[in-house]
Amino acid sequence: MIKSGTFKSLLRRHKNVLHFCQLSSAAQPQSDPKSHSFRTDENDPLKHTLDHVGQYYRVPQNECKVYLYGGLPKSYEIQTKTFNETCLMVRKPSVDIINCLKGLDYTKPAVRFVLFGKKGSGKSLTMAHVLHYAQKAGFLLVHVPWLGNWMRNPKELSSSETREGFYDLNLDAAAWLVHFKSQNEHLLSAPELKTTREHVWSKRESTPKDSSLLELIDHGINRLKYASECVLALAEELKQLTKAGNCKTLVAIDGFNAFFYPKTRVFKEKKEVVPPNKITLTEAFLSLTKFDWNNAAIVVTVDEIAIAEEDHKSHFPRYLLGKEGFEHLDPFVPVFVDAYSPKELTSCMDYYRERKWVRYFPQQDEELASLSAYNPYKLMKLCISL
Amino acid sequence: MAAIKLFSNNLKIIKGSVPTLSLIIQKNGMSQYPSYYIQPVYKKEVQEELAKTGEAQKLTHMPTRAALNNQTCSHTQDDLVNLFTNYVMKDGLKPLARGLIEQAFENIKRIQLEKYHKCQDPEIKAQIELDPRAIFHKAVENCKPIMNLTPIKRGGVRYQVPVPITPKRSQFMSMKWLIAASKEKDKNVRFHYQLALELIDAANNKGRVVKRKQDLHKQCEANRAYAHYRWS
Amino acid sequence: MLSFSRKIDKTAFRALEKHLILAYSTSSEPQREEEFRVLNLKHVKGQTVQRRSVRKAEIQPPRTTQMPVDQDWGNVWPGPRSFHPATVPLPIRQGYTPTGVAPGKYANAELMKIPNFLHLTPPVIKRQCEALKKFCTPWPKALDSDEKCERFFPLEVASSDYCHSSPTIRDPLARIVSVKFKLGVLGLEGRAKDKFLRLVGERYDEQTDIVTIVTDRCPLKKQNYDYAMYLITALYHESLNVEPWEELKSEADMEVYIWENNASKTSIEALFGKEAKEIENVEQYSQAVVRYMNEGENQYTVEQYGDAVRKILNLPPVPR
Repeated sequence: MIKSGTFKSLLRRHKNVLHFCQLSSAAQPQSDPKSHSFRTDENDPLKHTLDHVGQYYRVPQNECKVYLYGGLPKSYEIQTKTFNETCLMVRKPSVDIINCLKGLDYTKPAVRFVLFGKKGSGKSLTMAHVLHYAQKAGFLLVHVPWLGNWMRNPKELSSSETREGFYDLNLDAAAWLVHFKSQNEHLLSAPELKTTREHVWSKRESTPKDSSLLELIDHGINRLKYASECVLALAEELKQLTKAGNCKTLVAIDGFNAFFYPKTRVFKEKKEVVPPNKITLTEAFLSLTKFDWNNAAIVVTVDEIAIAEEDHKSHFPRYLLGKEGFEHLDPFVPVFVDAYSPKELTSCMDYYRERKWVRYFPQQDEELASLSAYNPYKLMKLCISL
Repeated sequence: MAAIKLFSNNLKIIKGSVPTLSLIIQKNGMSQYPSYYIQPVYKKEVQEELAKTGEAQKLTHMPTRAALNNQTCSHTQDDLVNLFTNYVMKDGLKPLARGLIEQAFENIKRIQLEKYHKCQDPEIKAQIELDPRAIFHKAVENCKPIMNLTPIKRGGVRYQVPVPITPKRSQFMSMKWLIAASKEKDKNVRFHYQLALELIDAANNKGRVVKRKQDLHKQCEANRAYAHYRWS
Repeated sequence: MLSFSRKIDKTAFRALEKHLILAYSTSSEPQREEEFRVLNLKHVKGQTVQRRSVRKAEIQPPRTTQMPVDQDWGNVWPGPRSFHPATVPLPIRQGYTPTGVAPGKYANAELMKIPNFLHLTPPVIKRQCEALKKFCTPWPKALDSDEKCERFFPLEVASSDYCHSSPTIRDPLARIVSVKFKLGVLGLEGRAKDKFLRLVGERYDEQTDIVTIVTDRCPLKKQNYDYAMYLITALYHESLNVEPWEELKSEADMEVYIWENNASKTSIEALFGKEAKEIENVEQYSQAVVRYMNEGENQYTVEQYGDAVRKILNLPPVPR
């Protein structure tokens, strides 16, 4: 893994060359005769079908901002910077979910999709594809990039002022609000997204009724102290607005099982563990993942990496969610994210070669397939030095 | 005495009967293999060549050592890189050393690809080397010194006398300097990143290591007058 | 002083006299000895006595060599006995050597270790059965099939009698009584069956549905039999009995997942806003959940669950 610090200068320089990207990458596919097999020109996720499975599509530059603040896993983000384009592979689980989302009856209660699979099989990137679709389809995105950041690596802990025995992760909450705002900038300015009631923060500060959601969010970002409360209020408002039919919402949470794993790494002063149900943010997102609202869809991933290493025993949802979590989500649609198929692996290697990331040698695909056991993440790691 | 004679006689017979054996016989030290076991041939190309020349037929029934776990026919392996990994390694932590080299190669690729995408002139673009292994080979080649200075005492004075060095020694010094230069860095820069920078610089015939080589050559040139101290 | 010198004289004289006598007596010996005297350096004692050689018992040739071909084997080997190579006229080999063939039967401990049934050859068994026949009663004609046997005699009681030569005719193993029956014949259902199984524990074999009760705590066979009958009666009535504390059994104490009692049902009812029975495809869903919970989590059960959920929520099926 490359530390972000060492690559800061590199990344900064990349930003300056973003406008060249079209030039250089547009020239590439034509030079390679095989390009049609691993790349698709269909860059609109609305039109992706099973025929595109195993092919890469480019996320257009102007739509990349959906991934701006941690929307992609760190290691993949570095890859996209190096490759000078954001490309995602169309895979079966994401096509499946998109297909379901298209045919969903939005007057009925929200449907929950649970992505599960072994470590490094591409759950987060499947979710990224779904997010891109949702953005194109005009969904309001409520996306938590990686829950492990809150439960296992929190920035700051403070006890809640409004609730007895509860704790706030205000820095993380504010960071999330920034992410939420950047993802939904184009939608939030809509006039019908207004608060349904007054939110009183303290004696002097309050957000009045019928003020826009942006105001509410900005308040949370500017007044760190109320960031967690603001997330709660936002969740409540979003639910009301979505139910009323003012917007369509897609809730996407990566590493959802961390909400039900008692051994967090959030510590009080005396090194006492704070369970996730004592964190205010948990409440907001658990209420968002219930089925008691309509006009919404919920996609979550359950991941072993979101819990402590000693409990990495199974990748199945019931084990990871526990009884409580299972009952919270039940009935959900489990979507299995498998390792690469041979076709997908070849396509991935072709893409790497086209991007000049690896050099060809005889029987490269076969060797790497057996070394990585078709696991996408392992394949990526194996390719770094080739 | 008679027994020794008999033994040496036997040995002669063995050697006489298998002429190739005497060439392959090696010191085996603490090895679990008897000394007449031959080294395995694990590279596919070498195997094919042996098969072509008919050598393989001779080796078929020779007792052969098992291949070590780093002796593979994989194209991902490179002898020089493996040697360099061993030079980087400390306290036998080979996975760590291997990881560092891999990360250094990754950094090389990222830096070069950035240059590649930045470059607009297609001619210059085609010249940018993206293969980390080629860059590494070039860097090692560029850093190899031809001469070295060695202190020799004459009349109570130590003279730095220029002497030619063997290719092997020269390669070792080149690699040693590359590693030493990568360790001379700011505290918050990682070794593998610095190594990547050094390798790229050296491959372009620039940078600290190449400078060090040139300095050494200059010094050798300046001390030319002492050269005869090698013999007298 | 005077007495002292006289004493010396006396002793000197006596010594002289002794010496003279000795010289005289030895001077006559050479005339008596004529054989050549040997210098005996090694000091060999007189002639060694011939040791009497141990006479070994004469080894008879193996009995097998004298056996007629048509002998009655039951008489040669009448009872259980460990293997004897000279008595068994078979070219048996047993054991393993890294090189060569397996060792023969002579001096082969391997053959003696293993139990043999040389006393139970088919003709011997036949002869014994013939002898026992007069003590047996004929099999009831009406019981002509296994089903009938099982129906009319659901209990299977087994005990052993021992007959061998020893000071006592009683064998302690004879007291053990084992009773077998199928659980189905008791006609227990639901809670009672569950309680019965918990009480019986590992005495119940799930695959064959057979309960085996072995009693050996009383000194006599009769007592043990009575005790086994008592146990079966007690088990039956106790499992039908409901204790007040049994009503306190909560969700966490359940041995199997029952969909009707769980949050899954309430949530699906809340989701559709109607009774569980009225929902379409609820049967498949509930079965999938039950299997998911009871069989454990694996790719298959998760897929089944997913299919059921898709069906109940009216979603397109998984692309295969």
